[in-house]
Amino acid sequence: MQATRPARDKKKASRLWLIIHSWLALPLWIFVFFVCLTGTIATVSQEIVWLAKPEVRANRPAADAVPLGYDAVLAAVEKAQPGVAVTYIARPVKSIFALDVGVTYPDGRSRSLFVNPYTGAIQGVGGAFDFRYFMRALHGWLLVPFVGASNWGWYLVSALSIPMLGSLVTGLVVYKKFWRGYLHPRLRLRNGARIFWGDLHRLAGIWSVPFIAIMAVTAGWFLIQQILVDNNVTVSTAGVPPIVAREDVPAEGRAKAPWISLDRAGALVREQFPDLSFDFVSLPANAFSHIVVGGRGAYPLIFETANVNPYNGKIEWTRRVSDRSALELVTESMRPLHTGDFAGLWLKLVYFVFGLLLTMMVFSGMMIWTKRTAQATAKLVRGARTGRALDAAGHVGEAAE
Amino acid sequence: MSTVRPKANPHAGLPGGRHGWRFHLSVLLLIIPISAGPRFFRDEALFFGDSGLGQRELGMKAVGPWHVSVAEYTADAPIDQGLAGHMKTFAIRWSPEDADRIKASYFRIGKPRSLRAAGVVLSGSPYRQTVDVPIPERAVPDDELWLTVEGWDGAVHQTAIPLAEASPATVAWLKERGEMR
Repeated sequence: MQATRPARDKKKASRLWLIIHSWLALPLWIFVFFVCLTGTIATVSQEIVWLAKPEVRANRPAADAVPLGYDAVLAAVEKAQPGVAVTYIARPVKSIFALDVGVTYPDGRSRSLFVNPYTGAIQGVGGAFDFRYFMRALHGWLLVPFVGASNWGWYLVSALSIPMLGSLVTGLVVYKKFWRGYLHPRLRLRNGARIFWGDLHRLAGIWSVPFIAIMAVTAGWFLIQQILVDNNVTVSTAGVPPIVAREDVPAEGRAKAPWISLDRAGALVREQFPDLSFDFVSLPANAFSHIVVGGRGAYPLIFETANVNPYNGKIEWTRRVSDRSALELVTESMRPLHTGDFAGLWLKLVYFVFGLLLTMMVFSGMMIWTKRTAQATAKLVRGARTGRALDAAGHVGEAAE
Repeated sequence: MSTVRPKANPHAGLPGGRHGWRFHLSVLLLIIPISAGPRFFRDEALFFGDSGLGQRELGMKAVGPWHVSVAEYTADAPIDQGLAGHMKTFAIRWSPEDADRIKASYFRIGKPRSLRAAGVVLSGSPYRQTVDVPIPERAVPDDELWLTVEGWDGAVHQTAIPLAEASPATVAWLKERGEMR
């Protein structure tokens, strides 16, 4: 007996890991499945809208057409819809999408206009129902309303990062020599459902290790972030939001003092920060607020912004990668890493495929349990009914070790 | 002690057994998004301005020569914003004729002593501006919500709305806070 002890211990330890692995997600499997599925849809929600609504596409009128500047877009929108107030103009990262122009109508409704980047034509108007935001809200906080910055739905979802990380680690421990699966992939289709779901679970699992790790870690950050917010802890170095000094605002006049043009603001920013791409501009929200020019710089995960004084063109505040602390570079990279929206369409599709695999991991895990554990245990319980006391002692002994 | 060791249950400790149906109970969590749905769409309509300027519209108010619509954004008690204290959101809308003449508008609970202390400045398009108004520690139910407006021509005009009219929920909350102290 003594000689076989180490091997038995190892076996028992691995068994314990399997038990933990099974208990981590199974009791919540439908919820986990729902969160993975909605997240998978959310990652390509913009592309789904692109497929469904021709007006959000950036249709190029001619092969040599050049995109309009921001001033030309602003003028085109104000000409087409006199009286609207434009609040921002954004050029989506993916050039297949039309410009997104935020406007407010005199009756107080705010809308997003889809504007052709080459002609300035208003191709369509977004509704109060935004599919992208709906999918994000469904996935991220179960549509639970925010109270201030708090949302208990957010906790329910982000707390799943703990079983997810646990499932990843225990899954790799349980799957002996999992690296062999990369060289000798095995997916047996004809050996019954149990074998099929087991093979699929392991195969999809080892190929999704980096993806699952990214999802679990970034979601874990969302949990930590919410805990910090709810406890008034911040890691931000951004400081007090900047405002335009009162003495810079023209004092006397009958009507609104003119702002410098949007393209001028962009050019001034570009002079100082040549590598900043001019992806969006937001117009001053009152007499003391800046024109904010922003876009991606050399590090694609983080948006950089510059606040330009709308009266004298001075760049009065910047929030660049270099303005952030090392900790902020990590924490602010978490969201783009989670959504995969920083490199273009191809990355979205990669995220979508791995999202589907992860969703299938939840389902296949449940199927393995259904096919194996549930049935076999039921059989065992039936067979062992006579010696129940003895068997129960065995259960307790095994589980306790 | 039995000398015959029974065959160990290969599934011991694993979830399952006769109560397997329990592992599908997490489907009940989906009641959360389903029941939160209607509220979500109401909030979206409010956010996009489709259901008006706010949940409780106070109508048009005269501020000197100008006219402004005022609304309580959500008809509930002030929200605890942590270190920033308790906040209450109000919204205003300028008519297109006045919009270009207004330099800045400010809200404050209690009469401002000067333009420098006019309160928090509203932001957004002139057709729909909102701001979180801090509820002062010393605020009482009889206080007024003061709107200070600065024109581009240099003129400053003010109007006061009793809190009882601006936000009954805030008055109720202040009364409760007063009783607790």
